[in-house]
Amino acid sequence: MNKVVSCDDVVAEIHDGATIAIGGSSLSRKPMALVRALARSDRKNLRLIVNVGGPEVDLLIGTGKISDLVYAFVGFEVMGLAPHFRRARQQGSVRFQEWTEFTVMAGLDATIKRVPFLPTHAGLGTDVLRVNPAFRTIQDPFEGQTLLAVPALRPDVALIHVNLADPQGNGVILGDGHIDSLCAKAAKKTFLSAEQILLPERLQTYGHDVRILRTLVTGVVEAPWGAHFTGCAPDYRADLTHVQEYLAAARDGSAWNEYLERYVYASDPEYLHALGSERTLGERLRV
Amino acid sequence: MPEYSIDELIIVCMARELRGEVLVSSVTSLGALAAHLAKSTHAPDLAVLSTPESGMDAVPMPTLSLGQFLTDNQRAIPLTMEDIFDAIFTDRFRIWINPAQIDQHGNVNISVIGPWDHPKVALVGSRGIPEDTSHLSQGLYYLPSHSPRTVVERVDFISGVGYTPERQEWLGPLGAPTCLVTDLGVFGWDPATGQMVPRTLHPGISAGTVQERTGFALDVPPSLPVTMPPTAEEMAIIHAADPLEVRKLEFLSGKDAGEKFAAIYERERQTLHAAWPRRRH
Repeated sequence: MNKVVSCDDVVAEIHDGATIAIGGSSLSRKPMALVRALARSDRKNLRLIVNVGGPEVDLLIGTGKISDLVYAFVGFEVMGLAPHFRRARQQGSVRFQEWTEFTVMAGLDATIKRVPFLPTHAGLGTDVLRVNPAFRTIQDPFEGQTLLAVPALRPDVALIHVNLADPQGNGVILGDGHIDSLCAKAAKKTFLSAEQILLPERLQTYGHDVRILRTLVTGVVEAPWGAHFTGCAPDYRADLTHVQEYLAAARDGSAWNEYLERYVYASDPEYLHALGSERTLGERLRV
Repeated sequence: MPEYSIDELIIVCMARELRGEVLVSSVTSLGALAAHLAKSTHAPDLAVLSTPESGMDAVPMPTLSLGQFLTDNQRAIPLTMEDIFDAIFTDRFRIWINPAQIDQHGNVNISVIGPWDHPKVALVGSRGIPEDTSHLSQGLYYLPSHSPRTVVERVDFISGVGYTPERQEWLGPLGAPTCLVTDLGVFGWDPATGQMVPRTLHPGISAGTVQERTGFALDVPPSLPVTMPPTAEEMAIIHAADPLEVRKLEFLSGKDAGEKFAAIYERERQTLHAAWPRRRH
C-alpha cells in the first residue's frame, strides 16, 4: 500500500485533545517539520508524551497547543533551559507530569504488551513518586518487595522522523534509535517523516537499520531537513546557531511573534529559504 | 610538577573512581574525558560510549553536535536504549552526573528550584537519575562550582535518592551516592550515618574554605590528605582528547561562554575529520 502523504494530511488525522508520543531525543532527530505543521494548525488541548524533550515541546507550548505534558526531561542541553516550558511550569499554564526515562519506556511497553502497568524499582525514594499522581507503589506477590507500578501510556498518535523510508512505511534509522520503536509500537497510528523516500527494494538493503516496520505505520511524509533545527545523524548535525536564535526569540514576546511568522507560519520551502538556501544549510550542517 | 587547571584536576579525580568492565556514559564533556582517561591508564576494560545511549568503544571527543557522528565515523558499536537501561538495572553502567543541587545525604536535584508545584526556577526534569540511584553500585557526582547554592543542607527536590529512610526501606545499598568531586575536594558518604564526609582537599584549599562554601555544617578534619594533582601523562591524554577545550565550557558563563561556544561549533567538524575520516554509506 502506498502511504505517502503530506505534513498537513498528518495533522488532519490528529484531533483536538489527542495524545501524541514524539520520538527523537533532546536535539536529535525530532520530527520538526511535522511539529511545525501541528504548531500552525488550530489543534488544541493536545497531550504530549516525550522521553527527552527539547525544541518540539517548547514550540508546541509556545504556540498554545498543549494542555498536558508527560516528560522525563525538557531542555536544550548545553545551550540552556527551554524558555516556554520553563515559563509554563512556573505559571502552571499546562498540566505537567514528571516521569523518568525508563518509566516512559515502561509505560509505552505496558501498552504494547496489553498490560495495565509494569513494575520497577526506578523512582522509589524520589520526589518524582510524590509529585506524579500516575505512579503507585505495589507489593510484589512473590517476595513481598515494594515496587513502583508504571501505568500504561497510551498514545493515539506517534510522530517520528527517520533517515529513510519506503512508500509502504518501513523506516531506516541510521543514528541512535532513542525510544522511537516503542512509540511506533504503542501508538494507535504512527506517522513518519523521512529525509528521503526510497523504493522498497532499495530500503530493504539496509538490513538491521530498518527499525520501524510498515505494519505499524499509517502515513509517511518525504521531508528533507525534516528534523531541522535538531540533528539527523549521519545526514546533518544540530543547527546550534539556529538554537541560539530560537532561544533568544522565545525569551521575548515580540521577537517570538517575528520568529513564528518567519519560520513556523511558513511552508517547508519557505522555511528552508528563510534559513538561507539548502546549499548554505548543507555547508553549515553536513558532517 | 606540571601546571594544571581546575577542570583537569576534576577530570583526573573522576577518572580515578572508574574501574572494571562496565559501560561508561559520556553525557558531559568532563564525564567523557574522565572515562577516556581511566581507560587509557588504569582501567583498560571500560566500555566508553560516545553518546548518552550508544557508540560503545568509541574514543570520545567532547563535542557540541557530533556525538553520533563519532559513533559512525569510528564504527563504534551501536546500542539501544533497552541495552542502556538493562546495563543500569544489572549494575554494568557508570555515569558522572552534574546535579543542580546535592545535599548532605547525597540526594541530588536537577528538576526544580523551589517547590515542584510552584517552581521558582523550573529546570529540566529528573531524566534517568531515578534509575541510576536505584540500581548502580557507584553513585558518581561532580560540581564545577562548590557553593552553598549547590552543596545544600536539603535539596529542593529529590531527583536521585541518597541516604534516606525510604532508601533503607525500599532499595538497600544499590544506587547510593559514593563520590562527589568538586573544585574544592573529593567527598564520599559514610554508609553507617548516611552523612557526607570529605576524603581529600585539593592543593591550596583549606578546611575553612570548604566549610564556608558548603550549605550545611560539614565536619572537615584538620589532617585530611591533599588530592593528588594530575601527572604530565594524564594532562597529555586530556589535551589530546579535547583539543578544542570543550571541557572549559562547563566553567564559563555569559559572553566568554558564548564566544568559546561559537568557536568550538565552527571548528569541531574539522577536528573530527582530522582524527576520524568520514565513513561513506
